[in-house]
Amino acid sequence: MKRMLIIALTVAVLPLGCATTTERILDAGDETQLQKRSYESRIFDTSDKEKVLRAIITTLQDLGFVTDRADFTLGTVSGTKYERYQIKITVSVRPKGKDRIMVRANAQFNIEPINDPKQYQDFFFSLEKSLFLAAHEAD
Amino acid sequence: MTKGITIFVVMIFLVVGCLAQPPHAFLVTPEMLTQRQLETRRYDGIKEADLLSACANLLQDLGFQLENSESRLGVLTVSKQRDAKDAGEIVASFVVAMLSGKPIPYSKDQTIRAALVVRPVNDSNGNALPDNHYVRVTFQRLVRRTDNTIYVETLRDPKIYEGFYEKLSKSVFIEDQKI
Repeated sequence: MKRMLIIALTVAVLPLGCATTTERILDAGDETQLQKRSYESRIFDTSDKEKVLRAIITTLQDLGFVTDRADFTLGTVSGTKYERYQIKITVSVRPKGKDRIMVRANAQFNIEPINDPKQYQDFFFSLEKSLFLAAHEAD
Repeated sequence: MTKGITIFVVMIFLVVGCLAQPPHAFLVTPEMLTQRQLETRRYDGIKEADLLSACANLLQDLGFQLENSESRLGVLTVSKQRDAKDAGEIVASFVVAMLSGKPIPYSKDQTIRAALVVRPVNDSNGNALPDNHYVRVTFQRLVRRTDNTIYVETLRDPKIYEGFYEKLSKSVFIEDQKI
């Protein structure tokens, strides 16, 4: 009986504890780099970097984030949300050709990455409203 | 017996997986818009750089340390460490300890953080109005209890924000008069 319990416990815990440090640093999950980039990115039809960065900051504030840092030259904004949990997000912008800007976000919930495309879809939906521009899927 | 083990295994998974990600963390709710009103004020007749400087000055008056800034985007991030002991909480912990023999941890110290953002007010065509800005500040805190556990929260007490903006209005006036 005791042996069965130990086996059951081991079987239950094994799949949880199997990621190595290397896998955690590289966040090598089942998705490819391309899949991840695709749902974490959107393209906006504007070349106004400042406008997009300010809209990102406003959106994050609306969502309850405190901006930890912002860098105009690099085009990045990072923020933290404290409810009963903690969410951290970094959003970056980069020009895509002459008249478009690509926005990319990656977030973590407590100590795990946010990998649900729906969450990013919600974020870009909120950003669209604050920017008064429609977001396009990245090519 | 097998049933017992199954229940046990399911329970282990439940405990490990109980920290579910909130489903709508990235959608703006009506409560968030109320919070926005609480956290925002409009200032007319002052340049963005002067307004940001008045804000930085006020945050220093309030004892905050500047952590990060990007004046091109109107952003200031500040923090300060302070005592978090609360007489009521300590008394409650003491009473519980007397009754149960087991003290409950109470708040010991805290890091108070804030981000302040200045942005131009736009007209209906999306063009920035001259010398017309919104200031928005959000306060959060990380509180450490006596057992070293930490809890975090965003501060929503209207008195905090009213008090802050009352002081900012004075500070902007001083900046305006170059006193």
